[in-house]
Amino acid sequence: MKKHIAAAVLLLLILGAALVLWLSPYNYAFQDRDAIMAPSTAQHWTGTDELGRDRTVRVAAALLIGLTGATAAAVITIMIAASFGLLAAYSPPAVAAILMFVSDGFLSLPWLFLLMMARSLLPLTASPLQTAVTTFLVLAAFGWPACARAIYRGAAQFRTAEWMIQGHACGLKTRQLVRLHLVPHLRPLLLPQFLICVPAFIVAEANLGALGLGVGEPMPSWGAMLLELENSALLARSQWVYLPIALLVVVLLILESFTTEIEY
Amino acid sequence: MHLPMIVLARVGRTLLLMLFAAAGTILLVRFAPGYFTDYREMDTKYTQAAQAEIQADAAQQQSAGQIAMRMVKSWLNGDLGQSRQYGVPVAELIGARLQVSALLLVRGILWGWLLAICTALPISGMRKGGVLWGLPFTVLLAIPTAAMATACILAEVGGPVLVLSLIVAAREFKFLRNLLEGAWRSPHLLQGRAQGLSPRALVTMHILPNVAPQLRALATLSIVTALGALVPIEVIFTVPGVGQLAWSAVMNRDLPVLVAVSLLMTAVVGFAGMLSSRAVTLEEA
Amino acid sequence: MPKACFINGSVKGHDFSRAEKGQQDCGVLTPEGFGPTLEATYETRSRQLRSSCVLAGLMALFAVVAPGQAAPRRPGELAWAIHYDPKTFDPAKVDEQASELVRYLTGGVLLRINRQTQEPEPQLAESYQVSLKGTLIVFKLRSGLRFSDGTSLTSADVAWSLRRVLAPSTQGVVAEEFLSPSEVVVETPDPLTVTIHLPKAVTGVGKIFDEIAIEPANRPSEGRVTSGPFTVSDYKRGQYVRLSRNPNYWRRDSAGTQLPYATGVRLDVLNNREQEISLFLRGEYDLIDSLSPDYFAIVAQKSPQSVHDLGASLNTEQLWFNQFSAAPLPEFEKAWLQNRNFRIAVSDAIHRADLARIAYNGHATPAFGFISPANKLWYNNDLKYPHESVADANRMLAASGFHRNENQLYDATGHPVRFSILTNSGNAARQKMAAMIQQDLAAIGMQVTIVDLDFPALIERLLHKQDYEACLLGLSNVEPDPNEMMNLWLSSSPNHQWNPSEKTPATAWEAEIDKQMQLQASSSSEQVRKLAVDRVQQIVADQQPFIYLVYPNALQAISPQLQGVKAAILSPGPAWNIDFISRKDGAR
Repeated sequence: MKKHIAAAVLLLLILGAALVLWLSPYNYAFQDRDAIMAPSTAQHWTGTDELGRDRTVRVAAALLIGLTGATAAAVITIMIAASFGLLAAYSPPAVAAILMFVSDGFLSLPWLFLLMMARSLLPLTASPLQTAVTTFLVLAAFGWPACARAIYRGAAQFRTAEWMIQGHACGLKTRQLVRLHLVPHLRPLLLPQFLICVPAFIVAEANLGALGLGVGEPMPSWGAMLLELENSALLARSQWVYLPIALLVVVLLILESFTTEIEY
Repeated sequence: MHLPMIVLARVGRTLLLMLFAAAGTILLVRFAPGYFTDYREMDTKYTQAAQAEIQADAAQQQSAGQIAMRMVKSWLNGDLGQSRQYGVPVAELIGARLQVSALLLVRGILWGWLLAICTALPISGMRKGGVLWGLPFTVLLAIPTAAMATACILAEVGGPVLVLSLIVAAREFKFLRNLLEGAWRSPHLLQGRAQGLSPRALVTMHILPNVAPQLRALATLSIVTALGALVPIEVIFTVPGVGQLAWSAVMNRDLPVLVAVSLLMTAVVGFAGMLSSRAVTLEEA
Repeated sequence: MPKACFINGSVKGHDFSRAEKGQQDCGVLTPEGFGPTLEATYETRSRQLRSSCVLAGLMALFAVVAPGQAAPRRPGELAWAIHYDPKTFDPAKVDEQASELVRYLTGGVLLRINRQTQEPEPQLAESYQVSLKGTLIVFKLRSGLRFSDGTSLTSADVAWSLRRVLAPSTQGVVAEEFLSPSEVVVETPDPLTVTIHLPKAVTGVGKIFDEIAIEPANRPSEGRVTSGPFTVSDYKRGQYVRLSRNPNYWRRDSAGTQLPYATGVRLDVLNNREQEISLFLRGEYDLIDSLSPDYFAIVAQKSPQSVHDLGASLNTEQLWFNQFSAAPLPEFEKAWLQNRNFRIAVSDAIHRADLARIAYNGHATPAFGFISPANKLWYNNDLKYPHESVADANRMLAASGFHRNENQLYDATGHPVRFSILTNSGNAARQKMAAMIQQDLAAIGMQVTIVDLDFPALIERLLHKQDYEACLLGLSNVEPDPNEMMNLWLSSSPNHQWNPSEKTPATAWEAEIDKQMQLQASSSSEQVRKLAVDRVQQIVADQQPFIYLVYPNALQAISPQLQGVKAAILSPGPAWNIDFISRKDGAR
């Protein structure tokens, strides 16, 4: 997909979702208890969910919240991973070893328990938005170690590439070399990691709902809608259960189009 | 530096990492909410029995230091402590499950990588339509692991190895395609094509050797991915492996089991990192 | 392996002199341009892609492993799932439900409660007598009883088993039922007679002895040598428990055929509902004891004769507020939660019929008290309780000084009424109820936050720290006799959920509940007991310490291949008359 088409489709999606929220007579929390798992009608374009809430409105709200949160968290996590990996690549071997040790240590610990502690520190009456923001920040904070080592390896390899040596010989400072030459070469590692993080964070946010984090009711959660795919009882009752995953695939394709390297 | 020294250094690093992981796990689990609880407390019939057990437990494990001392003694004994939920030595619990999980991991990662490489190689060389050809992997990324596993159960097709392979393949495909795209378009590849080298020669003699260091680093990443996916897969498919045990241990705050699982995971990650580092070091030597 | 390096547009360090085979298929540059050569390359790559896809598909097939069954079924063997491993097979130490099930299936007992009539029936004991004061029980054993290993079962074994259960070192839960276990005296005047001297009369004698399995004296075997219908023959942790028929079981049917009919039972450890249902529909499981309301329709669609809705169970779902005076909550919040009008208003605002219809897909009954209508012996038919009415709710709140400003309710001191409801994650029906209650309470201006926690974290907040405002949970009432709920209703009990372990009752109505519950526990008159329990039900309806929401229906799935099943809502559900259950296609 060409980048400008992808951008247009993404903008259309976001604007469409915003318009749905703005124009719809229903808000995402309203329960129409006489229309449970209703099919598509003029009032409910994509039917209703298990509590009679308008699915179109909820999917639109979930898309905006999930996309913002997951994309932001993915960007933060990539930035942390890249910073860590680059720092290690440009540090003396002993320091690099310590940094990689810390990174591997991060991978080994059961952070689920830290998340439980984080929840216990939040007030019980924290709003759904507050818990959602906390959740995405926490995901961003703990999502980086997996990629940091790969970035370190890549950066360490490219650091001694002849074109880097030439750049250094031409008088470029380390910071300029890293920004202008090294980071672009690391894109094959960074961009796929970003693409993987987005859906992973969306689903992780829903899984963290079991610990009291995540997007709380009545705010819709994209991840929770994806997890409905596990429920055969729901799948049998409505085809619109597949709408969130269809949208996620479209969003990922769009993001992939932005991150594709090919240029002629 | 000689190879034995390198290996010794790496092993030492892994052991230090395991110690760090054990200490961290003890601290995190001990101070997480719900450590001194038992689900039987909510059952009016068994409350008193449960609370008596908890009090006895609390008397012995108030501080992280006390817990750490007991852990060290149990490691020296070789039984890795007594499981809080099963009341049997942790070594016995894990030993029975290790082979199951190891086999699942190895098969899942191998098949996943094969699938990813076989699809990434040709797709990465395409001028147009690469994103759409990669659509199945994009869809796989979007589907939660648990949903994928449940779909297999409902369709009565596939199993834990298939699901793990697909998850690994979906993630590795993204990395591999980008890496290989860059490799296909590097100038010396163009030169090689201009000179008439066959695609197989290009791949085996130029592309794969050049991306090999990144591939090794990705291998570590895929082990981490697979370890993460192991828990939901084993839980949903009821595979009697370490992942299922780990999940049950989390739900029951079974610290001895969690420490053992952390040690295991650290050893695997450390070993994988050691392999990729060792290979690079050999090349640099 | 030489690497190619690119510096300033030149290629360095690589020898391109050797041409590989098949070069005519590759992108060879021609003076005409790239056209035909690139087409050839594209064609090649498309072929490669197709062959790769085929190869990938084949590999995917090789990777296929069918979802496994723990062990193949033996002829005549029954099979179903339990959700976690039994903690113990020692019948004297049972303290959770999976172990209880194994004990039920393997342990021979003196008396067994008929789960349909709720009356005790003689088992190993041919007859029994209880003295008028209730302090002496005499059991007469059947003659010719044997354990599964062929050894004789006599009164010595019964006495040993009873003493073991009562011993403090065993820490058996059943011992508490005797009130003063250390003072119980067991005697064996002859090999077929057991006399038990109790320091105090106990209620529900039949139920107590239903839970004491008789084992060989001095040879505890953890279920391997039993006097019940089955013995534990194999156990793989995390996979299954296998029970085999006891060849020396005492019981025969009316035609003289030895029981049980089934050759064995396999209990798979399986915590995945989807998989359980899938295996049931495939015929690999014979029953599902507690079918989730979400899946009832799915199973009914695929196997209509399998599903059974037995109506209201004994269980309840309720909401309650933290009334612990030292709870770490602001004083103004405690004032709300301890205010009877506040609780009644919340109760009035909740639409219970909607909860039953929507959260349970119609498989629940609106609840107003702690005794389910399924418990015919103890249900108070004359119970007066608050009815759903938003207008009444608003009136109750106004009477206590609350007032509305737009959509927000404020208390008399001007604080907005906002609180959280804790519930446990993983229960879909409960989470739906929480979301519905959130909307119902929004209608009267209360802003509610739902917090799902995993069970250990929830227990810590509820029972250890009392750091919560409201909680939505269910209570499994395994026994119909309200005496089993003493721990819930006595104000001094740690399970007195809304205000645990009170040194003295905090309110007059809690003191009255204590008095009535103790009366019913000590009285031997069923009429006196019934009146006392009726009184407790009315107090609870008036004060709403628990706001009862629904009685979930007992939903079961029973394979049409099974015969001899008699439906019952009491635990262990459809397997209660296991002796007579068999598969139509199985060996007997």
